[in-house]
Amino acid sequence: MIKKILIANRGEIAHRIMKACREMGIVSVAIYSEADKNALHVRRADESYLIGPSPASESYLHKEKIINLAKEIKADAIHPGYGFLSENPEFIRLVEKSGIIFIGPSSKSVEMMGEKTSARRLMKLNNVPIVPGTTEPITSIEDGKKVAAEIGYPVMLKAAAGGGGKGMRKIDRDEEFEESFNRAKNESLKAFGNDDVYIEKFIEHPKHIEVQILADKFGNYIHLFERECSVQRRHQKVIEEAPSIAVDNETREKITKAAIKAAQACGYYNAGTIEFLMDKNKEFYFLEMNTRLQVEHPVTEMISGIDLVKQQIKIASGEKLAIRQDELRIHGHAVECRIYAEDVDNNFAPSIGKIIHHRLTSGPGIRIDRGIDVQSEVPIFYDPMLSKVIAWGIDREEALARMKRALGEYQISGVITNIPVFNWILKQKAFLDGTFDINFLDNEFLPLVPDIWKEKLSENYEEIAAILGALLKQKEMHINLSKNCIEENNGWRAQLYD
Amino acid sequence: MDGGHNCMTEFIVTINNRKFELSISEEGKVLIGDRYIRTELTEITKNAYVIRIGDSVYEISSNKLGADKFGITIDACYFDTTVRTKLQETANELQKNKSRLFHHSDVKAPMPGLLLKLKVKVGDEIKIGESILILEAMKMENELRSPASGIVKSIFFSEGQSVEKDSIIMTIE
Repeated sequence: MIKKILIANRGEIAHRIMKACREMGIVSVAIYSEADKNALHVRRADESYLIGPSPASESYLHKEKIINLAKEIKADAIHPGYGFLSENPEFIRLVEKSGIIFIGPSSKSVEMMGEKTSARRLMKLNNVPIVPGTTEPITSIEDGKKVAAEIGYPVMLKAAAGGGGKGMRKIDRDEEFEESFNRAKNESLKAFGNDDVYIEKFIEHPKHIEVQILADKFGNYIHLFERECSVQRRHQKVIEEAPSIAVDNETREKITKAAIKAAQACGYYNAGTIEFLMDKNKEFYFLEMNTRLQVEHPVTEMISGIDLVKQQIKIASGEKLAIRQDELRIHGHAVECRIYAEDVDNNFAPSIGKIIHHRLTSGPGIRIDRGIDVQSEVPIFYDPMLSKVIAWGIDREEALARMKRALGEYQISGVITNIPVFNWILKQKAFLDGTFDINFLDNEFLPLVPDIWKEKLSENYEEIAAILGALLKQKEMHINLSKNCIEENNGWRAQLYD
Repeated sequence: MDGGHNCMTEFIVTINNRKFELSISEEGKVLIGDRYIRTELTEITKNAYVIRIGDSVYEISSNKLGADKFGITIDACYFDTTVRTKLQETANELQKNKSRLFHHSDVKAPMPGLLLKLKVKVGDEIKIGESILILEAMKMENELRSPASGIVKSIFFSEGQSVEKDSIIMTIE
């Protein structure tokens, strides 16, 4: 039985996990760095402990400190959230050795899926389609060129240890190979401490489709349908949806089957996600497996009615899956927008500061998962994601309309946010009709930064903003004026009494 | 007109390079162009306002970004607004011109040509508009005048040399 969980994370996901704990009658424990002492996840926990200085390496990434604290306070389990230590096999192994339950898969499964070329080999072996290319690191330029010529340009070079777009390069011609190869190797050495790269065929106009799975420790596997995550900026997801407008029933049948095969191949248990690229002909290819809870898990929760965090806790405590595949249905449509503290027109620079105003949005179909509240600091040390707005509707159209309405109501002051960008996306034809692919934002939005994208978006409100600006300025002038008056009066009185 | 006209303050608001000229009376009556607009402003917090403009009410959040800058969000649209009184705007324009007058300034060749004559030397004090050199281009002698007042800091070409378009001939500080 799990009675007390240490949550080795911060921000919205720590807060989200605490909600599940509270509902299950489990004691939740927050850890926090010096920068986070007033953070929302600390306020919402049953207990909280300072873990170290602000840099993540000395706090949220410090394996030994976290495990020692968990032992000291007699936590039964550790939930890693996403990011930080969630997919670190060494950490998971240390937790396993300490006798504390890790709420996630085994270190072995994480290891099997962590290295990209061996994961590709494993998938190939288990008949999960992979992007054509190598399943071993490229050892020489000559070999690489040979492989590239065989599968046909354009090709992608990818870091074997990689992720997040680092060490990734597209090559269009044989002449570009050598330079790109050297650069990709350098980049991946710097980013991951490993310079192994491999080759994949470049998929034209792909969509990013992923499948959520749940598995218990008794070999029962179910899927909770797909998510569509093609709206990305430089490989970072910005909007996610479930289900995907591009996945028909036949494709859904195939891709979810492939996902379960992939999970079985690494002896997976707990919640996990298998990511695929899907081309125009609805052919899909295994990309990677995320061996943890994902940022975008709420859209799946909204359409399936299943609380994924509670399922994670139940599975970790040794319960059998109580949900049968044939009981699951897709109910309606859900969409999620990731709200970041970033100054889009200033090269997407993180906008740090204190939240001085935060008015939530609500109403039919709206859910907010957030890591901030009034007076929260947005520190420079961590990911600048503030919250996620999730909208559910009976169909995609209603979900998007609700999202638009909800974003209009949502107010954050103190930092600059990317909320207006969603306003732009939600008006684009390619987004609305579902023809967008993973290059949509990079091709359509980035060329309009800075400022151009805003031009037509908000003309109706320019005059209102001008009026408010002038009224605020007038107010300030009045305050200054009356201050002066009081001071003058006081001076006059003081003289009088003198 | 109710005579409130006289107590109105004039503002220039700049948003996305567009300038709005508006006047506001003590009672919050707003005049844009020849339109009078009734407004009512309610402060919810220092960063959130409710404003009635004519028949509609808007909920707006704001960030103070500088002495005359406000970041304003309405219905998920964000505006960088610069607000100055007409007087401040005029002063600001003057200041800009002034800094053009007195700060370091490069004299660039407006066209490719032959530097025929230099009328000043390093260390000379010159006034804006003073003739400083003659550039021969397309068989024409062009007199170049100083874009700034100050001291000639350095000269990069000598008489008889040819210069490319936009090359810096001298700097004035």
